[in-house]
Amino acid sequence: MSMLLKTRRLDDVVILDLSGRITIGEGTVMLRDTLQKLLADGDRKFLVNLEAVDYIDSSGLGELVTGFTTVRNQGGHLKLLKLTRRVRDLLQITKLLTVFESFDNETEAIKSLRY
Amino acid sequence: MTLKAPKSFELTIPSRLEALDAVQHLVEQAAKEFNLTDEIAYWIELSVSESMINAIRHGNKSDPTKAASLKISSDGHAIEVIVEDEGKGFNLEDLADPTDAQNLLKPSGRGILIIRSFMDEVNLSTREGGGTRLQMIKRLPGNPS
Repeated sequence: MSMLLKTRRLDDVVILDLSGRITIGEGTVMLRDTLQKLLADGDRKFLVNLEAVDYIDSSGLGELVTGFTTVRNQGGHLKLLKLTRRVRDLLQITKLLTVFESFDNETEAIKSLRY
Repeated sequence: MTLKAPKSFELTIPSRLEALDAVQHLVEQAAKEFNLTDEIAYWIELSVSESMINAIRHGNKSDPTKAASLKISSDGHAIEVIVEDEGKGFNLEDLADPTDAQNLLKPSGRGILIIRSFMDEVNLSTREGGGTRLQMIKRLPGNPS
């Protein structure tokens, strides 16, 4: 199963619900294009929900990092929601857990973006 | 460590990322044949995929006339994966540490780190006649040696 991406909005927070496999190629391009379009439209607060992601490779991790830096460079925030154990393990191995702020609870995550 | 393998799965693909679907399929076949747990199968697939992407992109520079090959075998005690390309090779020790603060926000460079975190042995050598050979070994649970 390739990656699926759906977006929803709670006030000024955009939630990107990802599912399937975030791998080199289509999946990473889709995430990048979506974030760039939302940034161009003026959005600055993003929550990437990884609950239904069952596989991510180093290119997928790289795309999350690129998304994080792109958003931050434009004065925004990108945080992660509901990491699966495997995704958390990979973020731990690569020390990216020190880069991303992550939440298990969507309400808490949104609250942190509203400050 | 060299494994005596009663059964192996092999595949050679052109250096195009589109060909990775066949790699995923082969790993699934091997995982089923070797009765791997979902957890080990997941990490084997990730390690194989990362090494094949490295072979295609960095070894063969995405030149579709160059081939990347994969062999997965098991003797019941361990899984051995061998990935070969036609590139100029590299030294594992020369790779930048992607967990260094200065590299943490770079978009790439994490593949070998992920492979090393799971595999028990990762050996790189030059193939006879040119190219790179990456051998990875994962000992299976209940087989400490």
